[in-house]
Amino acid sequence: MKGDRKYILLFLLPTAAIMTVFLYYPFFKSLYLSFYRTTGFFDKKFVGWANYERLFTDKLLGAATLHTLEIMLYVIVFQVGIALVLAVMVDNISKLKGFYRTVFFFPVVISGTAISLLFVLFYNYNFGLLNNLLASFNIEKVLWLDAKNALKAVSIPTVWHYVGFYFVLFITAMSKIPQDYYEAAKLEGITGFKKTTMLTIPLIMSDVKVVITLAITGTMKVFDFVWLLTNGQNGTEVLGTYMYKKAMVDQNFGYGSTVAIYMVVFGVLLAMFANRLLKKDEITY
Amino acid sequence: MKRTSMLLMSVMLLLSMLLAACGGGKSGTSEPAPGGETKPTETAQPEEEKDFPPTTLRVFSTFGGTDAAREAFQSVLDEFTAAHPNVKIDNDTLSANDDGFRTKVNTDMNSGNEPDLLFYFIGADAEGFVNAGKVVPLNEILDGDADWKNGFIPDALELAKQKDGNIYAAPLTGFYEGLFVNKKIFEENGLELPTDWDKLTTAVKTLSAKGIIPLSVPFDQSHYLIEHAILSAAGQAGQSKGLLDGIDPNWEKAYSAMKELYDLGAFPKDAATIDLSMSGNYYSEGLAAMTLEGSWAVGGWNEDTRDNSTVVPFPTVPGGAGTGNEIIGGFGSGFYLSKATYDDTGKKDAAVALLKHLTSPASIQKIASANGGTPAADVEVTGLAQVALDGFAMAAKADAIVAPVDSKVSQETFGNLRASVQPVVEGKKTPTQAVEEAKKTEDDNKK
Repeated sequence: MKGDRKYILLFLLPTAAIMTVFLYYPFFKSLYLSFYRTTGFFDKKFVGWANYERLFTDKLLGAATLHTLEIMLYVIVFQVGIALVLAVMVDNISKLKGFYRTVFFFPVVISGTAISLLFVLFYNYNFGLLNNLLASFNIEKVLWLDAKNALKAVSIPTVWHYVGFYFVLFITAMSKIPQDYYEAAKLEGITGFKKTTMLTIPLIMSDVKVVITLAITGTMKVFDFVWLLTNGQNGTEVLGTYMYKKAMVDQNFGYGSTVAIYMVVFGVLLAMFANRLLKKDEITY
Repeated sequence: MKRTSMLLMSVMLLLSMLLAACGGGKSGTSEPAPGGETKPTETAQPEEEKDFPPTTLRVFSTFGGTDAAREAFQSVLDEFTAAHPNVKIDNDTLSANDDGFRTKVNTDMNSGNEPDLLFYFIGADAEGFVNAGKVVPLNEILDGDADWKNGFIPDALELAKQKDGNIYAAPLTGFYEGLFVNKKIFEENGLELPTDWDKLTTAVKTLSAKGIIPLSVPFDQSHYLIEHAILSAAGQAGQSKGLLDGIDPNWEKAYSAMKELYDLGAFPKDAATIDLSMSGNYYSEGLAAMTLEGSWAVGGWNEDTRDNSTVVPFPTVPGGAGTGNEIIGGFGSGFYLSKATYDDTGKKDAAVALLKHLTSPASIQKIASANGGTPAADVEVTGLAQVALDGFAMAAKADAIVAPVDSKVSQETFGNLRASVQPVVEGKKTPTQAVEEAKKTEDDNKK
């Protein structure tokens, strides 16, 4: 083992190098740029904390944060919730398990952009699928992406896209529960719904925690659905699209980087908060 | 232990999203010049005595994707490679529909990954890399080759000048923007062409009552709406000043006019969330009677709409300083020759020859026929739709042809002007506030 050490170190190096080039370098570069006022690529000036001062008075950023949190709520309640319900149901059937697993997992492998473009065509006011359906029943067309509905309309594909991923995590966790627990429960006369709430879910609680953390951090990355469906209009601006607009569209890389740093800090705080909230004893079988 | 690892994991996840934001670092590597010094190429090719040393040239342009001139451009490149088999051309394109290509160009120019020839905007957009000396002035090359220089119409070269008076970009085709009108819809509804504000508002009222979209524009990608509204509100002089030296009070009228149109029901119901291509789609499908677009859009519309279209200048908004006959247009872009290529003896001659070929009258004619732009050379463009001819006539009769307002203010200011469209028309922000906010952004940018 001792002789292997240096080889292990050697083999770890490439990954570390790649991480440095593509992750840590850009991160610290962002941190560096957040202290500059930039106009395009060729002109930058040190401005101290000015970008951070702007950050705390930026109403649009506040709105984007709230919208992100709202999507986060939908994601935790519906994405994780639906995944859990589906997993419990699939776990309780003996036939066609593999079939359902594939069916539910499938959306995960489709790119978010493709799904967004599909939903653009569902929601479109003039020739969208939904409004055509309504028209065929002689119901008046609905503006699906107006200021009231837009954020919910964007959340639907966001939630739907990743349900399968959490579903697979849950079902794997459930398959690891030893069979004797269930046999003991059966002898005690515990079956059906009670079995799920008293036995299955408590036993996979640590996985539920992981999934919720993943869902929270995942929501911080929401971009494609919002960008393609609404361009961040009608109260759907989220942190990802706002940062992109500031950095890429406005070519203000300084402030864009500041928003990115804010997202990291905000995300880490949220994840820590969630962990604290969900703190519970580990279960070992 | 588990908690720390989970925390670590969440940090990782968060860091990973930063990648998207920070892709523009200095990580690009400059291509080693293939071919190198003037290697004596095989002497057994007498008929190709004028060929260049083997090399690959990267030409970056927006002639890709759904661009109307994509095929014409490729065929012009093919002509060159057929005549010079030693030269390979890497036709690198990105659609001009989004802002992504600006980022791409700026990243390339800033990271030592300059394309050999670059097709890009002239003016404020190019200032960064022009001032950084990334491209060569073409004045000398132009003066050294009278045939090439005389191929251009003098106005086109004049308009291609950068602030410092040098020409860095060889123009290809120009453009104009205007109010495109579907004549058929107007006739069917007994309407007159919207040549003044009253006729425009009458048309808007009539059409919106009938459930036809009067004027198809998006709010977020409202570039053309803002450009026209500000030009007609502030006039050429007021528009060209930009915002740096104080606010021209006429700018507000642009936003008041947009609100008036909105209140009359001029815009699509979903104008807030559609993008330019969807709004173009409404016009192309005959669902909308008017749209604000540029000459390049004509080629993309379906035939029926194209044949029924004409184009007029955007009328003067109420109280505006514009004459109602000033249009937005110019020779807004051209081919730049990168400094690195020019200094590379293995590539220089081939790149210059390609540049001359791409902007020869014959090539200009081909591209102009495909995209309906105004040719930068004195050539006859045939086979154009009537609406394109109407556009040329409009440009010829215009009091002035003015560069769009986004070339007069910083990118971020223009972003701010765009973001104000929806709040203003919906009454959540006053026109005065909109212009004041833009002014503040402009000041911050010039600090």
